[in-house]
Amino acid sequence: METVKTGLTKRNIWKLLDIPIIAAGFLVILPLLGINRTTDFIIFCVFVLGFNILYGFMGRLSFGHMLYLGTGAYTITLFSEHVSQNPLLAILASLVAGALIGVILGPIIVRTTGACFALINLAFCQVGYFLVLVAFSRYTGGEDGMSAYFSKLSFLNFGNRYVVFGFVLFCLLLTYYLLKKFTSSPFGVLIKSIKENETRVKFLGYNTFTYKWVTFIISTTVSAFAGALSILNYGYATPSFIDPSRAVEVIFAALIGGSGSLYGSIIGGVVYMAISNYLASYVPRWEMFLGFALLVVVFRFRTGVWGFIVGLLGRKRKALAR
Amino acid sequence: MSSNPIIETKKATIRFNGLTAVDNVDFRMTGGEAVGIIGPNGAGKTTFFNLLTGLYTPTEGAIFFSGKDITNVPPYRRVTLGIIRTFQLVSVFDSLPVIDNLALSTIRFSDDYGSKRKFLFTNVHSDRIMKVCLEKLEVLGISDKADLMTSELSYGDKRKLEIAVALSLNPKILLLDEPFAGLSDSEIGEVSLIIDRVKTNLSLVIIEHKISRIVDMVGRLCVMHEGRLIADGPPDAVLSDPTVREVYWGKEEGLTCSV
Repeated sequence: METVKTGLTKRNIWKLLDIPIIAAGFLVILPLLGINRTTDFIIFCVFVLGFNILYGFMGRLSFGHMLYLGTGAYTITLFSEHVSQNPLLAILASLVAGALIGVILGPIIVRTTGACFALINLAFCQVGYFLVLVAFSRYTGGEDGMSAYFSKLSFLNFGNRYVVFGFVLFCLLLTYYLLKKFTSSPFGVLIKSIKENETRVKFLGYNTFTYKWVTFIISTTVSAFAGALSILNYGYATPSFIDPSRAVEVIFAALIGGSGSLYGSIIGGVVYMAISNYLASYVPRWEMFLGFALLVVVFRFRTGVWGFIVGLLGRKRKALAR
Repeated sequence: MSSNPIIETKKATIRFNGLTAVDNVDFRMTGGEAVGIIGPNGAGKTTFFNLLTGLYTPTEGAIFFSGKDITNVPPYRRVTLGIIRTFQLVSVFDSLPVIDNLALSTIRFSDDYGSKRKFLFTNVHSDRIMKVCLEKLEVLGISDKADLMTSELSYGDKRKLEIAVALSLNPKILLLDEPFAGLSDSEIGEVSLIIDRVKTNLSLVIIEHKISRIVDMVGRLCVMHEGRLIADGPPDAVLSDPTVREVYWGKEEGLTCSV
């Protein structure tokens, strides 16, 4: 049998070495930024990945993703308080909670598109914020938040910053790997097609509702994962983890990096965090500059930073071939 | 006509805010037939397709496929029955590579869809899947463009891709909505050859504006006008029908089939 090679089946070094490259990238910035900030950056990248699978790949923009981050954050905290202080079990509980909220809210949310989709997420996020801040403040500590304590495992001591860093980096790479698998499978092609023309996908024999729901669940689970990791890092849950007004952060990061790409999500996460961490220490109202940055991205780099790099490399390769 | 129609509509009617787009259409065809639907702009041809394929549900009336009532069956389910369509404005996914367009439809009726694990985790660009897809592109003569982004294709090639996608869904009945619209003369020739080749294995319904392009291709012609089916029969008989001539060419006798 003759083997078929389209250009797409060829192995590409960037695609093969992506995980070592990401790991190396974070190890390089580790001494520059310090361990706390780097860990923070990595966790935010997990969140951007979870958001981007829904926005960049399936074309559904959510204004309420803080709800899913907060679900993870509060689940791990409450679990450690009431059930068990085993950190791995607590993370698992957060993942289950993240998936569960996707399963429950999904059928309502994924029916909608466009502005309606964005706002219905925001609406649920407002409800969650209220529940945490007021209605269940007896359990969540309301505005004061609550601490999370985890027991030391023989092989994983989360009291050590370097262990947390290593674990979080591993979690990012694992998330990246799984999402890469999803997005390069037939399922990935399907959700990209839904982004472009959902009606047409139905006429290919796919029940799009199911796949939108599954994608939504993946997104909420990964977001909850990021929430759980944040608590592992901070040891303290506050309502800011579920604050609807922070939803823009992840949207900005996805836009800056390039919405339809996993690499882009990570670059966007790092760039956004760098701007918000460092610009904030020099300029009091740094958000204004973020606004300008976004304007430049929207008008000049439609495909985000990563899309721009890919385009540049492609052009260079073509020029060399000539 | 045989007593076992593959598709049948009974008094199919759809109204949009008082406008009756399809009006009391009784249509039936037997397996293996090739039917052309002609009619002026706004006659309700495409809306009739939308009823057959499930994009709209009729306000009144019913639709049957092989004797089963499918009036309320959603589009994706009708595809699994074998009712496949193309669109008037060619509809493929511009943001995907050409081959991915085909992969999606090829996988739908294969083991890769049946097994959820494979659907979620196999690489769509694996040699095995690509090989099948390339063969299908080969049939339509566009396999050399497999790696291009679909947005880079010419309109004619997109039309061929759309037909390849439709054929890979194992149609029992293929509904083509103006497949020649917007194509150059040479492309029209190529696409009609393709349609001629495939119509032996399936039932074909084809909407067309220009009668001359399909008159040799179909065994039966239906004429729609203002939502109603005003003529139905062998092409010669339909074209000499006085009401049809009036609808299509006005009262002047001088103009002929060159439209």
